[in-house]
Amino acid sequence: MRNFRRILLRRVISLVVTFLLVICINFVLFRMMPGDPLQFMVPSDPSIPGEYKEMLIERYNLDDSMSEQFITYIKGVVTLDFGESFIHKVPAMDYLLDYIPWTLLLVGIASVFMIVIGMLIGILAAWKRGGLFDSGSLAFSLFFYAMPTFWLAMIMVMAFAETWEIFPASRALGIGEQFEFTLASIKDLLHHLVLPVTCLVLVYIATFSLVMRGSLSDVMTEDYITTARAKGLSEKAVLKDHAVPNAMLPMLILIALTVAYIVGGAFMVEWVFEYPGVGWATIDAVNEEDWPVLQAAFFLIAVTVIIANFVSDMVMMYLDPRVELS
Amino acid sequence: MIETNFTLSGPFAERMRLIRKKVAETGRVFKRNRMGMVGLAILIVFAAMAAFPAQIMWVFSTVGGWDYPYGPHDEVASYGTGTDPSSEHWLGTDSRGNDVLARLIYGARISLMIGTLAAAVSMVLGSIVGLLSGFWGGWRDEVLMRVTDVFLVLPWLVLMIVFVAVLPGGPSVYKIVIVIGITGWAGTARIVRTQVLSVKKRAFIERAKSVGAGEFHIIRKHIFPNVFPLIFANAILTVALAILSESALSFLGMGAAATVDVTWGNMLEDALGAQAMYNGLYLWVIMPGLCIVFLVMGFTFIGYALDEIFNPKLRKR
Repeated sequence: MRNFRRILLRRVISLVVTFLLVICINFVLFRMMPGDPLQFMVPSDPSIPGEYKEMLIERYNLDDSMSEQFITYIKGVVTLDFGESFIHKVPAMDYLLDYIPWTLLLVGIASVFMIVIGMLIGILAAWKRGGLFDSGSLAFSLFFYAMPTFWLAMIMVMAFAETWEIFPASRALGIGEQFEFTLASIKDLLHHLVLPVTCLVLVYIATFSLVMRGSLSDVMTEDYITTARAKGLSEKAVLKDHAVPNAMLPMLILIALTVAYIVGGAFMVEWVFEYPGVGWATIDAVNEEDWPVLQAAFFLIAVTVIIANFVSDMVMMYLDPRVELS
Repeated sequence: MIETNFTLSGPFAERMRLIRKKVAETGRVFKRNRMGMVGLAILIVFAAMAAFPAQIMWVFSTVGGWDYPYGPHDEVASYGTGTDPSSEHWLGTDSRGNDVLARLIYGARISLMIGTLAAAVSMVLGSIVGLLSGFWGGWRDEVLMRVTDVFLVLPWLVLMIVFVAVLPGGPSVYKIVIVIGITGWAGTARIVRTQVLSVKKRAFIERAKSVGAGEFHIIRKHIFPNVFPLIFANAILTVALAILSESALSFLGMGAAATVDVTWGNMLEDALGAQAMYNGLYLWVIMPGLCIVFLVMGFTFIGYALDEIFNPKLRKR
């Protein structure tokens, strides 16, 4: 137990350090930006009075020294205040808050599907190793693995929204609709989610099926599997009760590590489908040069991913105390 | 099996002989690997496209009976903009009045170039961090690994977008190479470090230390040669990721400018901008993506094959 506590302490310290590093990177990066921040906010139009510029300098503390700016920034981070969006004139974090549930919905549903289907494919492939299903699923997985997410999204739009008109090509709801908890609204939402979710699932399924296959193949060579077979258990029982549970651990590690990649993929999918998620808002912020929003988005995503990693580490330690966390 | 205890000290000619022997050995094993050979074949096709785009277009123009071979930046109104495939333009034309086929073939060069250069940058960074971190150990290792962690956990795309936004200068090939390079090194650093830790324990490192070899001498002559095969296999896989990253950034309009350097990524950006999906211009959307898929698969196949050769433990599975 003492050992457990020591590892926990180490993890917490490294979490805090990673956290601080992200905060610093977020500050330094946005101070590295070329040019005068005023240029982004005020068009160089002589008719704009100087007082307005002075007001902006005052408001964004542009005349402060670096250290003063850093202190203001840290205060902002603590209160989640990253300044006002240049374009939308609301606090950057408030602006992003509207987009968060949509991304959680998309990534959440897609993750469940890709993990479950990926695992099933992996189990079947490992069970009949070298068989037709194994090589077929491998080829399928590698093909989608090599595919740019956004391209798959475009192809799906072409096939299922344009040629066959089965699913809508963009947005999360019909034009002008607001989400309500009514059956019609939920149906509309799910209808819009089919293509983006399928797209994410197809691209990331390979990651899960390949690891499950590898991990299960390893477990199948262990002595206790031979013992289980020798006891006369059916193949199905061996697989279900002895092999799969022991092959799950690498999957759990993978789920945590993949979160960061899925978020990246979700960005592209959101962009192509004009889905109102954090990814769409972030890319839009870059195109609009809305730096406070970009800074807030970077912070938000970084913190989410770091915490997700930490939680998965903890879960893993609980499930398998043998795992030495390095 | 490939010899892994491999030291590069001694006279120059002797060192060259060792390197040549190792390369030849690797080549022999590689030739027997079906996956690797398929990858190599794919790569050769794209390398030909990258090296001789004008010649390939000239051949096509002769076959198709066109007046002259099209280039990637023609922007000629008489081609028509956003037209369907025809006998004049096999894959149609894009919104700027360019032949899609010509852009596709010329696109191989910049796509490949960005992929390999970016992978090289991240390999160099990752190898240096991994080698030093693993060799030094202690607090310096701790510091380097925390920084690596940050780069490892942050979503690559988000990190790249932020870097593109904050680095000076407009979109250009070199900016993309640097952005992909400095965001993609963390995985390599991790792998190299692990390998260094195991090489460090071997007896010949102790021996070198006991005869008074300096830190950098040991890293350069004794550790690096043993880690290099791993770095190389990893580099090939990194090229695949870099190509995907480039296409994503270009697609978002943050990559090389489409009017200056044509890549498959910015062809798709143009296609999205012109709503090609809704106008029935299917080939304009499908072809650049297929090129990306095959090129990425080519590199992935070769990378896996090399991995199998250099990590014989995997081969048994």
